[in-house]
Amino acid sequence: MNTISQSPESEVDGPRSRVQSQGVSGTPVLSLEGVARDFSDGRVVRRVLKETTLDILSGEMTVLAGPSGSGKTTLLTIMGLVLKPSTGRVVVGGEDVTGFSEDSLASIRQQRYGYVFQQAALVPALDVLDNVLVGTAIQGGRVSAQTREKAISLLSGLGMKDYLLSRPQQLSTGQQQRAGIARALVSDPILLLCDEPTSALDVESSHIVLDTLKKLSRDPRRGVVLVTHDPRVFPYADRLLKMEDGAIVYDTRQVAG
Amino acid sequence: MRRHAAVRMLLHDRSTTAGAVLGVVAIVFLVGQQLAVLFGLLTLMSALVDNSGADIWVLSQNSKSTSTAGDLPIRYVDRLAGLKDIEWAQPVIYSAAQFKLPDGTSQSVGIVGVTRPGLVVGPWRMAEGGSDVLLEYDGVTVDKLDLADLGNPKVGQVVEVNGRRVRIAGYTEGSRAFGPSVMFVNSTKAREITGIPADRCTNILIKLKPGVDIRRARAEISTLLPKTTVLTVAELASSIRVYNLTSTGIGSSFGFSALIGIIVGVVIITLTMYTNVLNRQRDFAVLRALGARQQDVFAIILFQALTIGCIGLLIGFFLLGGFLFGVKGSRLPANLPLWLPPAHVLFTFLMCFLGSALAMRRALKIEPASAFR
Repeated sequence: MNTISQSPESEVDGPRSRVQSQGVSGTPVLSLEGVARDFSDGRVVRRVLKETTLDILSGEMTVLAGPSGSGKTTLLTIMGLVLKPSTGRVVVGGEDVTGFSEDSLASIRQQRYGYVFQQAALVPALDVLDNVLVGTAIQGGRVSAQTREKAISLLSGLGMKDYLLSRPQQLSTGQQQRAGIARALVSDPILLLCDEPTSALDVESSHIVLDTLKKLSRDPRRGVVLVTHDPRVFPYADRLLKMEDGAIVYDTRQVAG
Repeated sequence: MRRHAAVRMLLHDRSTTAGAVLGVVAIVFLVGQQLAVLFGLLTLMSALVDNSGADIWVLSQNSKSTSTAGDLPIRYVDRLAGLKDIEWAQPVIYSAAQFKLPDGTSQSVGIVGVTRPGLVVGPWRMAEGGSDVLLEYDGVTVDKLDLADLGNPKVGQVVEVNGRRVRIAGYTEGSRAFGPSVMFVNSTKAREITGIPADRCTNILIKLKPGVDIRRARAEISTLLPKTTVLTVAELASSIRVYNLTSTGIGSSFGFSALIGIIVGVVIITLTMYTNVLNRQRDFAVLRALGARQQDVFAIILFQALTIGCIGLLIGFFLLGGFLFGVKGSRLPANLPLWLPPAHVLFTFLMCFLGSALAMRRALKIEPASAFR
């Protein structure tokens, strides 16, 4: 990690990452323009994500890999609008959301984003169907019949039809992750962000989940970003980004270009 | 969905939910029970005054209560009775005495001597028969709740009070006062028992004619009898309650008990709800990442607190009702004024809100980004 004293922009050490996406096979659903992130412990400010420019395109699966502490989760959370960058701009679907309020960002997350968390992160108090639906009406109101039907359809499509009313703790980790994918898709997101979705899965379940995500990334309206340190995931990537020390150091698109 | 999620979380975490409900029950029952007994005692303190049928009481100078040490000239009664605004004025004798028990020991009692034939400030509720038993020369009444203290005397039995023979003429039911047992007797016999001479009395009761302004009448009487204390029934009742609350320590005792109930309840609610949020940090972080705003998390916790409050109130009031039913007709006075239950409900919800404040504060600080860690 690089240590800076006062001005984050003036004293950053190490390589700066600037990766330009061409967007040949889709339109950018998310653009990061010079985003960087600093963390402070009160005395020392550390830049954990160096200035990064990146487009996530629809219709492809972008895999973000790197060792622990390389900054991939920080980059993912900035992409996911749950962490604000210290510098730079975040553009979602052509709209600059950098200065948006917390509430506005929450609404964007609810309506346009889907998340697949490590170990599914289902709410244990809710059954599978409620877990899929909870995000759609968490800002108040009722779940529409149409949304409920869609959730059931998604779960059925993922082989979870018989587990709609099961509690997460009654499911295998693979089943939990499939329920997590259904939850991520129920709002028909333009961006699906997956945080190490196979880390807790056996080989067979990992392939099922990765095949599913690969299929989902074929939707021309949707981009998929998958963060992992598992090399078994790399063959599924349309685009592979590797991070080290807070910067993207490898991009298959650049290599191809 | 927020309410649904809130309820599901409560049902899922049954043990912590039960703990928080227990906290609310502690508040509702302990505070309610203490207040019911306190209001029962307050009612008892001024029962004699409240049930006297008079509008104004005249007491000895500087008196704050219906003290047994009152001493007024009986001629005041005639002077008052002559005023145009006064319907009637009656002397009352209220004095301490010793009731001789069958085993030879004595028990303190309060003698209330009422004037025949009106029997003003006589017993307001008889267990059987009417208060006209006091028209008899040596007839006295005792309250059913005091019978055990007085050796269970039977109606018609001759007993001794201050060395004078009296006959139990009837039982009253709830015609009691704060302190020793009250025995009603006619004023002639009361003077004989207490030794108060015929030209003296302890208090004078006044009934005003309909439509007369009570404050103006009181002022006129004060002017007429400057060496007395003249109070309306409401003023005297209030004065008695304040005097007893402050001079006997009852107020601080009950206040402390109620405060302990509140503290115990709020601490239980706070700890259980806070623990619940700590255990559910990841869930709240995931909900935040999925689009929940801070106000949505606030709404979930608030709804949980209110739900816990409602369940606790139901159980607490059920227990309180059982307590009130159990002590009804017993020596332990308990009275829940009509305004108290709704006030108690509001107060309990406020305590639930306060109890959940720490949990809310913690939950609102949960960052959605922590769902990814």
